[in-house]
Amino acid sequence: MMLEPAQCAGDAPRTHAPRTPNDPHSPLPDHSPPPDHTTRLPAPARDARLRAEREQWQRRRRLERQLHDGAALRISALSLQLGLFRHRVPEAEPDLHASIDGLQDELHAVLQELRDVAGKIYPPLLDEAGLGPALREAADRVETPVRVVAPDDRFGPAAEGAAYFAVTECLEAATAASPGLDVVVRRDGAVLAVDVVGVELRHADAMLDAVRRLGGTIDVAGGPDAGTITARLPCE
Amino acid sequence: MRVALAEDGALFREGLLMLLQAAGHEVVGCTADGDSLVALLATQPADVAILDIRMPPEPDGGLVTAERLRAAHPDMGLLFLSHYAESHYLMRILQIGTDSIGYRLKEKVGSVDVLTDTLTRIESGEIVIEPTLAKRLVERPRGDKKGVIATLSERELDVLRLMAEGRSNTGIAAQLFVTPKAVEKHIANIFGKLNLHADTAEHHRRVLAVLTYLRSQRDEE
Repeated sequence: MMLEPAQCAGDAPRTHAPRTPNDPHSPLPDHSPPPDHTTRLPAPARDARLRAEREQWQRRRRLERQLHDGAALRISALSLQLGLFRHRVPEAEPDLHASIDGLQDELHAVLQELRDVAGKIYPPLLDEAGLGPALREAADRVETPVRVVAPDDRFGPAAEGAAYFAVTECLEAATAASPGLDVVVRRDGAVLAVDVVGVELRHADAMLDAVRRLGGTIDVAGGPDAGTITARLPCE
Repeated sequence: MRVALAEDGALFREGLLMLLQAAGHEVVGCTADGDSLVALLATQPADVAILDIRMPPEPDGGLVTAERLRAAHPDMGLLFLSHYAESHYLMRILQIGTDSIGYRLKEKVGSVDVLTDTLTRIESGEIVIEPTLAKRLVERPRGDKKGVIATLSERELDVLRLMAEGRSNTGIAAQLFVTPKAVEKHIANIFGKLNLHADTAEHHRRVLAVLTYLRSQRDEE
């Protein structure tokens, strides 16, 4: 009998699991009436949803720190211990030296992968230094020339996180043929505003996805192809 | 060499301590935060202080501690270790000092040879920059510098990358198996193409000129 990926050893037999007829993996439809003797909780109010969304960003920041202070530091320490071990193995054992070097290289590759994951959860530079330095570092990784203008001001982990990922998605999608983008970060009272100038306007929808859960908005100017997308996010 | 060390991760601190001792260095102090290291080094001389960037006093205690150490002991070398190699921190480090200073990834100093080479270069006055970061700076310079970099020959790129690692001319020559005179010539060509003035013979000034060039935007930040 072939097991479906979703079904693992130890799972209840699937015949007892509640499924909808069309898609065995989808949860019950939202609008079906609650079963008898149960009370469905009302959908959270807008304030509660915003609060929950802000907490998500705090959680992401904590996860990144946990990776840094936990797994990454342990592996770095292991790399040092291997170096010490290599030093103690007699020179007359070249094969063993080569094996230890190979192990160290593997650990370095693991650390690099951890760094990549951590950066996608919450970039440590964004946490420590803010939008300007983090966006400049992100701009260094793409082909298109990008100029970043940003104050040293801080806007809180949620607004900064959402703005960072909204902008970097744009930068990564920009084609190599693009003559260059300007990213301008500014504060407008309790609002963080980010202009992406010279960008293809078709990225506006993706940016809206990135900011709307925090109550953010997107304005588009210029066009028809390239123009300015402005994201606005309530911030600290 | 006399070395002092501040790092808040106990496992890594112990590992580094043992590796330093195995490499034959005298560890004069080993602390978990920057303030204790400053206090310790007030009475205890050291040639190089090794600092974790992200340690107490939070958030980047290594940098604050380094500023105090550089003011109190201008001749003491400083080596920053971090889990991240970012040009943002490199520039902040170079604001603290442009000689006898280094920035390396934590896991990359995990051999006696690399550790001793790094410390020796710092003690002799060089800037030591993590090779992966130097490579990234050269391959992906900011703003409109990409076109200029593309005009460099392959050999000139090798020289530029090693310069961005902070290596001296003799160090570059040794890495590339050429004479220091040949390196001089390449550097003159590079500075010509980059339109930089090689008006100072001082090594670290030239390294700084190259790094600033690679990192500046279309107009200055």
